[in-house]
Amino acid sequence: MDKLRRILRSTGFVNASSSVLAILVGLVFGFVIMLISNPAQAIQGFGIILKGGFSGGARGIGQTLYYAIPIIMTGLSVGFAFKTGLFNIGASGQFTVGAFTAIFIGIKLNSLPAPLHWIIALLGAMLAGGLWALIPGLFKAYLNVNEVISSIMMNYIGLFAVNYAIKHPALKTAPTIFDTTMNLTSNTAPTSILPKSFLSYLFPGSTVNIGIIIAILIAVFMYFVLNKTTFGYELKACGYNKHASQYAGISEKRSIVLSMVIAGALSGLGGGLVYLSGPNGRRYKVLDLLLADGFAGIPVALLGLNNPLGIIFAGIFIAFITIGGEYLQSLDFVVEIIDIITAAIIFFSAFALVFRGFIQKMLKAEELAVSLDDNHSSLRRQNSGKETGGEK
Amino acid sequence: MDYVIEMLGITKSFPGILANDNITLQLKKGEIHALLGENGAGKSTLMSVLFGLYKPELGIIKKSGVEVIIKNPNDANELGIGMVHQHFKLVHNFTVLQNIILGVETTVRGFLEMEAARKKVIALSEQYGLKVDPDALVENITVGMQQRVEILKMLYRDNEILIFDEPTAVLTPQEIEDLMAIMRDLTKEGKSILFITHKLNEIKAVADRCTVLRKGKCIGTINVQDTTKEEMSEMMVGRRIDLTLDKGEANAGEPVLEVRNLVTASREHGRKPLKDISFTVRRGEIVCIAGIDGNGQSELAYAVTGLMQIDGGQVLINGQDVSKKSIRARNLSGLAHIPEDRHKHGLILDYTLEDNLILKQYFNPEYQKHGLRLLPKIHSYAEGLIERFDIRSGQGAITLTRSMSGGNQQKAIVAREIDYNPDILIAVQPTRGLDVGAIEYIHKQLIAQRNSGKAILLISLELDEVMNISDRILVIYEGSIVGEFNPKDITVQELGLYMAGSKAREVNHG
Amino acid sequence: MKKAFALFLALSVVLTMVSCAKPAPKGYEIALITDLGTIDDKSFNQGAWEGVVAYAKANNKTHKYYQPTEQSNDAYLAQIALAVENGAKIIVTPGFLFEVPIYIAQDEFPNVSFILLDGNPNDGDWSAGAPTFKTNKNVVGVTYAEHESGYLAGYAAVKDGYTQLGFMGGMAVPAVVRFGYGFVQGINDAAKDLGVDAKLMYHYTGGFDATPEAQNLAASWYNAGTEVIFACGGAVGFSVFAAAEAAGKKSIGVDVDQSGESETIITSSTKSLAPGVELLISQFYAGKFPGGENLVLDASNDSVGLPMETSRFKTFSQADYDALYAKLKAKEFAIFTDATAENAAGLPVTNVQLTVVE
Repeated sequence: MDKLRRILRSTGFVNASSSVLAILVGLVFGFVIMLISNPAQAIQGFGIILKGGFSGGARGIGQTLYYAIPIIMTGLSVGFAFKTGLFNIGASGQFTVGAFTAIFIGIKLNSLPAPLHWIIALLGAMLAGGLWALIPGLFKAYLNVNEVISSIMMNYIGLFAVNYAIKHPALKTAPTIFDTTMNLTSNTAPTSILPKSFLSYLFPGSTVNIGIIIAILIAVFMYFVLNKTTFGYELKACGYNKHASQYAGISEKRSIVLSMVIAGALSGLGGGLVYLSGPNGRRYKVLDLLLADGFAGIPVALLGLNNPLGIIFAGIFIAFITIGGEYLQSLDFVVEIIDIITAAIIFFSAFALVFRGFIQKMLKAEELAVSLDDNHSSLRRQNSGKETGGEK
Repeated sequence: MDYVIEMLGITKSFPGILANDNITLQLKKGEIHALLGENGAGKSTLMSVLFGLYKPELGIIKKSGVEVIIKNPNDANELGIGMVHQHFKLVHNFTVLQNIILGVETTVRGFLEMEAARKKVIALSEQYGLKVDPDALVENITVGMQQRVEILKMLYRDNEILIFDEPTAVLTPQEIEDLMAIMRDLTKEGKSILFITHKLNEIKAVADRCTVLRKGKCIGTINVQDTTKEEMSEMMVGRRIDLTLDKGEANAGEPVLEVRNLVTASREHGRKPLKDISFTVRRGEIVCIAGIDGNGQSELAYAVTGLMQIDGGQVLINGQDVSKKSIRARNLSGLAHIPEDRHKHGLILDYTLEDNLILKQYFNPEYQKHGLRLLPKIHSYAEGLIERFDIRSGQGAITLTRSMSGGNQQKAIVAREIDYNPDILIAVQPTRGLDVGAIEYIHKQLIAQRNSGKAILLISLELDEVMNISDRILVIYEGSIVGEFNPKDITVQELGLYMAGSKAREVNHG
Repeated sequence: MKKAFALFLALSVVLTMVSCAKPAPKGYEIALITDLGTIDDKSFNQGAWEGVVAYAKANNKTHKYYQPTEQSNDAYLAQIALAVENGAKIIVTPGFLFEVPIYIAQDEFPNVSFILLDGNPNDGDWSAGAPTFKTNKNVVGVTYAEHESGYLAGYAAVKDGYTQLGFMGGMAVPAVVRFGYGFVQGINDAAKDLGVDAKLMYHYTGGFDATPEAQNLAASWYNAGTEVIFACGGAVGFSVFAAAEAAGKKSIGVDVDQSGESETIITSSTKSLAPGVELLISQFYAGKFPGGENLVLDASNDSVGLPMETSRFKTFSQADYDALYAKLKAKEFAIFTDATAENAAGLPVTNVQLTVVE
C-alpha cells in the first residue's frame, strides 16, 4: 500500500498521467465535434482516430513515425528552450533555413560519397538553424529584446530569404535547386538521401528512414545533457531562476545564447531530416507561408512536459492522431472538419500542465482522506519536520 | 462573557499536516488580542478560515454569540471583519481616497460620488488621529502612512473587528510606537483588534490577552500582564529559549572586506543611489549595517557581491580589488552571501534541495568530471549538510525546495554559504520572516563563524538583532553611512534617530 | 526514465482501446484523389469530380474523394492506399503531380484501375535527360491539347477587341504551360489578322490556391491598363475574378465553364474533364477500359473549346468560332507547346509585346 502510494505520488507518474489525461480530454472533445458534424458515423470515426496509423498497417505505422520526425525535433527545440526559460517561437524559421541548407548541400555537393554526404548535409542544417537562433539569442542576452518578438521576425526573414535563395539565378546552374514546373526544390542527390536501412523491411512502402532513429537518439542525448551534465544544470538554473543563477556566478548571457543556439540547431536538424527523405518524401515548396512544423513543436513540447523523453512520445502521438485524421477521410467527414477534430485533440493535449496541477490536487485530496483516517501517523509525519502546505 | 467573535474547536487539515487542531479563539469586545505563534503554527490557516477561504472540517464560528457561516471574504466583510495584510493591497498610482473607496464606491447615475466619501474619510482620520491626506498619491507616502490607509479602509467599511497581520515588520521604531497608540485609540472607540505577531516585545507593549499556537495546536490563552516574555516564548516554541546571546568580546584581526568610496547611480527605477560609502570588515568581527528599509542596504549588498555594477570606488577582498571581477571570481576569492530575498536570489525553488546546496560548488572537480555531474557525490555532500545543519524536508535531499518551509529554506542557504568556508560572509536580513527557534539558530551560526575568525557583514532591519549580535554598527541613511557606533554605547531610541535621518555624525573609517 | 516509461504505458493503454474499434465499411467503388487544392476549386478537381458523380449517380455506384495531407509522392500514395483499402475499384487522379505516384501504384495495386488526367505515368527521374515511362494495363493516361483551348481563348479575346491582356497561370505544370503558350499564339495570330499590336503580361503564381499575392498582382495589372486576364490555375481564378470585379475589368476562366463564377468572365478555356472522366468510367464498367493507353484529347474529338452559349463576347460570334474551330480540327497550323518551346519569353511572336513576370 505504501509502495503503491509512493508510485502514485512520484513526479514521473503524475507527469505521465497528466499527459494521458490531457489526451483523453482532447479525444473526448474531438468526439463531441464528430458527434455534432456527423452523428451517424461518429463512433466509427472515433475508432479510426484511435486506430491512427494502425489503420494503414505497416505503411501507416511507418508514416506515423515519418510524420513524427519533424515535430519531435521542433518539439525538442521548443521544449529545450522552455527548460532554460526561453520561448523559442522561431522554430519554424530555424527549421526552414536548416531545410534549405540540407537541400543545398544535398544537391550541390553531389560528389560526396554516401554516408558522408547526408551527414554533412545534416550538420549543415544544424549549423544553419543554430546561427538563425543565435541572432535572437544575442539580442535577448545583450539588448534584452524579447526573444518571442525577434524570433517571430526571424521566422519571416528565414522564409523569404530561403524562397529568394532557391529562385536566385546564381543557383540555376546545374544541378539546379529549383524545379520550376513543380514549384518545388529538385530531388537531392541519391548519396544525400537518408537510408531506410532495416526500417524498409519493418514498414514497407512508407517514407520513414533512419531520421526517426536520429531524432530519438538526439532526444535521449538532450535528456542526458539536461539532467546529467553541469552544462544542463547551469542552463536549467537560468531557466528556473535567472537571478539566483546570476547570484551563483553562472553567466546568464552565455546560457541564453547557448540555449538559443542549441534550440535552433535542433529545429534546423529537423528540417534536414525531413527534406533528405528522397524523391517520394517531402520537397521544399516555395510558398509565402511559414512552415507549420515549427509551430507544431509547441504542443508537442507542452504535451511532453518539456521532457525530451516525453517529447518523443508526444511527437509520435500527435503524428498518430494526424494520420488517424487522414484515414478519417474514408468516412463522410469533410476535410475541414477533420482538421478541426485533430486540431482540437492536439489543443487539449497541450493542456498537460494544467492537468498536472489537477492530478496533484486530486492526490492530495486522496491523502487528506487517509490522514483523517489515521490522524496519529499524519501528525507524527508532521512533527518530523514535513511541512508541505497551509502556511505561507 | 461578551465575545464579538468566537472560533470554537476549529480543525483544518492539509495533506500530511494538521494545520489547525481543535483551536479555540475568543475575541472580547474592545480588547487587543494577540495571536502568537511561529511560522507554520497555523495562524494564517486560522485567519483564512475566519475569512471563508478555507472550510474547516470541524468547529464553528460565532459572531456575538450567534453561529455564522462564512463562505467567502465578502461574508466576513459583511460581519464587520477587516484585515490589514502584511503586504499592503494598495493601488500605487491611485490617491489615498481612491484606494479607500475601491470596491465600495457609491455612484450617482454611473458617476463616482467622491465628496461624501471624502468627508467620511476626513472625519474618520481625525477621529482616530490618523493624519492622512486623502488626495496624496499612495506611491508618494511612507510605508507607515500606507498602513494607515489600510486601517482607514477597514474603518470606512465600518468594520468592528480589525485584524493586523504582522503590522510592525515594515515600520521604524517611531512608527511602531505611533501604530501602538492608534491601536489603543481604536479599542477605546469600541473596536476589537486581533494582532498577529511573533514579536514578544510588541505583545507586552500593547496586547490585553494572547492566544498561543504551536504546530497547529492551541497551547492556551493568557493575560499578557501576568505572563513574562520568557514564559510566552516557551509556550510558543515548546522549549526554553535563551533570548540573550552570550558572544564574548570581538577579536578583530586583519581587514577582509574593504569598501572604498563606493558610488552607484540609480540606473533602474526604484534603486537608491549609494553616495561615497567606505568601511572595513575585519576577521573575527560582525559589522552591522542598520537602517530603515529602502535606504540603500540592498544596493550595498548587490554592489559588494557583484550583482550590481558600481560607478565609482573599490571593493577589496583580502586586499585584492574585485570591483571589476565577475560574481564567480568574487565567490572564489572568499565571499559568501546570504541574500536578502531567498526566493529571488538565494534558491532555485524548482530545483531539489541537493541541487540548491551544490549551487556554488557544482563546478568543482570534486563534483563533476569532464562536465558530467558526479551525482552520488553531490548527493552525499547534500546529505552531510542536511545532517549537520538540521535541514528538515519531506523527502530529504531530493525534496523540491519550493515545498520546504521558509525556515528550512533559509537554513539551506546558511548551510551552503557557511560550508563554502568563506573569508567574508555577507548576510542580508538573514532572519527575515523566520520564527524564534530559527532566528536563534542563525544567530548562533553567525557568531560561531565570527569566533572562528571569519569576517561578517550583517545587514538588518531588526534593531533587536542589530543590538544583540553586532560588534560595530554602521547606520545607513539615504545611501550614505551617517554614523558608526559600538552597540554598548548607544540606545535603540538614539539609533532610531540616526536611522530616520534626524541625526548624523562624522564617521570614523575604521 | 520513469516518466518516459509511465507515459509509454499510458499510451499503450490508449492504443489497445483501439482494437475494439470496428473497421470502416468496404464501400466506395469509385474514388478520386485531389491534387493540390480542394474538390470545390470550380476548376480542375471539381471538373473531374463532376464526371465521377455523373456516372455514379446514373449507375448507382458508391463514390468518394480523398484529399492528401501534403504535396509529396508518398502522401499521394498513402491516399491511394487508403482509397483501395476503402474498397475502390477505379481511382481518378486529376493532375500531372500524380505521374510518379501512379507509376508506383500501378504495380502495387494491379487489381485496381487508374485514370490519370493530365499526365502519363513515369518514374520522375530526369537525371538521364528523360524519365522512364510505363503505363500498365490497369492505367489510362489522359492528356489534353490545352494549347488548342488556350489558342481559341486568346484569338477570340483579341478578335473581340481586347488588346491589353494578361495570363496568370498556377503552378507551371505542362497543362498550364500549354494553355499559356496557346493563349500567346492565339493573341498573336488574331493581332496579326487585325493588324494591331497586343500587350500581354505573363506570370505563374506557383500554386493552385487563391492568395492575396495573386489578387494584388492581378489588381496591379488591371491598374496598369490590362483589360482581360486569363486565370489559369484552379483557385487562382478566384483571386483574379475578385480583382477584375474590383477594377471593373474582364477575365477568362479555365478548365470548365466558369461563367457562373463571375460576371467578369468573357469566356472559359475548357477541356472536357467531366465528360472524359465519365466516358472512361463507363468504359471501365463495360469492360472496355482502354488500359495501357495514353490518350490525347484535342479539338479533333471535340475535347477542348470555348462554351459559346455562356460567353460574354461583344462581337466574336458563334460563326467566327465555328470557322476557327474547323481550322483547328483540320490542324491547318501548328501551335507551340511545352515540347516545342523552351519558355514563354522565347515564343516567336510578332504582334505581341510579351512581358514575363517572374
